[in-house]
Amino acid sequence: MIHPVDILLILVLLSVLFAFASSRLPVLIRILAFQGVVVSIVPFFLEHEMTAGGIIFTTATLTIRGIIIPWSFYSMIKKMGIKREVETIVSYNASVFASLLLIVAAPMLSHKFNMISFSGGTLITSTAITLVVAGMFLLMARRNAIAMVLGYIMMENGIYLIGTALSSGAQHIVEFGILLDVLAGVMIMAIMLQSIKQKYDNLDTAQLSKLKE
Amino acid sequence: MEAFFFSIGVIIAGGTLPLMLHRHFTLMKTVGVLSISAGCLIGLTNSLFQLFRPETDAVSFKYLHAFSLSFVIDGLSAFFLVPVFFVSFLAALYSFHYLNTPEKSFRTAASYLFFSLLIASMTLVVTAANIITFMLFWEIMSLSSFFLVVYDYHKIETRKAGYLYFVFSHAGAMLILSAFGLMYGFSGSFGFDGAAILPEWVKIVVFVLAFAGFGSKAGVFPFHVWLPHAHPAAPSHISAVMSGVMIKIGIYGILRMYVALNYHAPLFGEILVIAGMISGILGVVYALAQQDIKRMLAYSSIENMGIILIGLGIGMIGMSSGNPLMAVLGFAGSLLHVLNHSIFKSLLFMGAGIVIKKTGTHSIDALGGLMKKMRITGMTFLIGSLAISGLPPLNGFVGEFFIYLGGFKGVGLDKLSFVLSLMAIISLAVIGGLALACFTKVVGVVFQGEPRSESAVKADEKEPMMLIPMVVLAALCPIIGVFPKAVFLMAIRGVSALNLGYGRIPFSPFLEMTENISQAAAVFLLIVFCMLALRFFLYRQKTITRTGTWGCGFTRPTVKMQYTGSSYARSITDFFKPVTALNEDHPAVQGVFPAKTYYSSHARDIAERYMESVFVHPVLFFFDKLRWIQQGDIHPYIGYILLAIVILLFFV
Repeated sequence: MIHPVDILLILVLLSVLFAFASSRLPVLIRILAFQGVVVSIVPFFLEHEMTAGGIIFTTATLTIRGIIIPWSFYSMIKKMGIKREVETIVSYNASVFASLLLIVAAPMLSHKFNMISFSGGTLITSTAITLVVAGMFLLMARRNAIAMVLGYIMMENGIYLIGTALSSGAQHIVEFGILLDVLAGVMIMAIMLQSIKQKYDNLDTAQLSKLKE
Repeated sequence: MEAFFFSIGVIIAGGTLPLMLHRHFTLMKTVGVLSISAGCLIGLTNSLFQLFRPETDAVSFKYLHAFSLSFVIDGLSAFFLVPVFFVSFLAALYSFHYLNTPEKSFRTAASYLFFSLLIASMTLVVTAANIITFMLFWEIMSLSSFFLVVYDYHKIETRKAGYLYFVFSHAGAMLILSAFGLMYGFSGSFGFDGAAILPEWVKIVVFVLAFAGFGSKAGVFPFHVWLPHAHPAAPSHISAVMSGVMIKIGIYGILRMYVALNYHAPLFGEILVIAGMISGILGVVYALAQQDIKRMLAYSSIENMGIILIGLGIGMIGMSSGNPLMAVLGFAGSLLHVLNHSIFKSLLFMGAGIVIKKTGTHSIDALGGLMKKMRITGMTFLIGSLAISGLPPLNGFVGEFFIYLGGFKGVGLDKLSFVLSLMAIISLAVIGGLALACFTKVVGVVFQGEPRSESAVKADEKEPMMLIPMVVLAALCPIIGVFPKAVFLMAIRGVSALNLGYGRIPFSPFLEMTENISQAAAVFLLIVFCMLALRFFLYRQKTITRTGTWGCGFTRPTVKMQYTGSSYARSITDFFKPVTALNEDHPAVQGVFPAKTYYSSHARDIAERYMESVFVHPVLFFFDKLRWIQQGDIHPYIGYILLAIVILLFFV
């Protein structure tokens, strides 16, 4: 029988494919919100005891990851009036192909990390690796600054997954630390994006190279 | 050991406190100078105490679980600690009046920070007991001195000099690191002690690599190129510390490697003697050809490094040929010269610093007649010049004489050792003579005669904090020269830490010989002074007419008639023409009413010239081909990171 965690993780992997194929910002944000929600509920299905504190932490994570961050992005693009396509460096088809390759290659890799001995599904390490590398790929392959930030969030989801898998005792403290980092990072990026927007009237990071000497 | 770390703590405090006080310029300087100099004094007393203690002190701190930072103070370390603390102490005092622009308050505070870091890292380098500790503090030393060199960063030459220094010190560090890497690879231990078990060929490779690396810090020809650029660019008290002690840390490194390898191949001594002869002779020839006073002092440092290397080489030849007396004389002589050179070279740099500060020019030929306006500076500079030329009864003579004696012991050896000892003696004599010519040029042109430019007329000296260190250093020169026993015992303590495995050596005849020569010279000087006093008394009642120097009996002499430094040095530099090509610029005098003409010359350093064509151009060519990697857009960089992660994850 398929472990429930594995089902969730397959959803996550599918969301990566969707994210790479989506050409519009609102769609991308929604996919990332979905991914955040799915990733945050993984701890509920892992077979360790959920303490009251654990439940609170996980719920908080869920709220921030699934609601607050996507919503802030949503309102940001609404305020700036951007609904345009996400300009690419690597085309959508090539991106999807690359992510497929990555999803295939990641399980081979996860055998290298033999340290994981938890009772959950078998896919958790490979999904985490996929998310980290795919997030980085998104950072590299998209010109739009918001898409780049979303890539960063995807990377962070992967790190969260690894954290969930590795730290069984003090996991919530670690996770919450990561979460606060992300929140701060997103806020800083939001401020920077607004200034880029004000200065150059769009969010193409290629404009930033004008700042060079 | 606690006292040692306490002194370092006080010195670092003297570097950090000024940063907080930079709004109050004088208070900041007072705090910085007091704290740094107090720390240096504590360190100085402690290291003197350590030097004469029979046992060594060791301490070790765990760092990051992977390795430990460990320190040992043995005789050799303690011997090098003495000049480090002493010269830094005086340089700190000197800086109080030297750094006197309140507009640059923050920069001055930062300069104190790096100065304290430089002192602390130098002391920690010479006490480091394993290669990690050594390398860590070696890097801090190089970096902090780089920041001190670029103090006047708004000048383009200073930035260039700083860059050159940066490149050289890091290329040197790379060579040292590769030597250490080999040591670690074959012995498996981070400690210096582990190096004794290496195979012989590895020892030779390690020593040659380390020699090149440490030589680039010590200013050994042809790795000296940074030195004549960085020293003029740095503030004078920094030049004094860099030239007086920092470049000696390179010598310490060579000695430490020699001790650690514990391998007495004749090759090592031969390399050192030959390198020493080349840098000694070329250093002094280039010094003679310079027109910038601090550049000339920098080349003179190269020359003195050559003398020290000759001494070390003689010591190593003595060791490999089983002649302990020659070995001890060579090592002790070069250690003595390390100490003595740190004294008179810092004195000369401080003197040059005052001259430059007061007249605003570096050029020797633009000065003149300063002895009348700056009596203390002139007298101390004269004493330093006599000492650096190795004349008795001053201290420069003592170290050089021991090296000579060691060389004479080597004349009895066979073939190559015989030839090298003989050549070492001859080149020491040549170096001594040329150094004398070089310093008579400087003293004669800068301090004697009449002022050659407007700025030299207005010079004065009022700041006591700049004069006191110079007077102290100048007083030490004759004291050490006439009573060399104390410093000689210090040097012997340093040599005994080399573990040469000799028994008791009868040094006292050599010490007595040196003392006798020095004291005879001192008596001779005393007689000269008595005669001068007698003359003064006898002529008191008579009329004495004074006219301008170099007046030559003309009724209307002008300052342009004076002998210049360049013309004085010309006959000697002409002799060394193959290595001192002069770039001259002089429109010929033509016609009955010739137009105004000028003459300028510039001696090019042969190493600098060949470094450009042999080394710099190929490197630049290669790296030019890699320029496309830098795109200036963020996405390729993220792509590089991604590529690195993928390769690391999937293929490693």
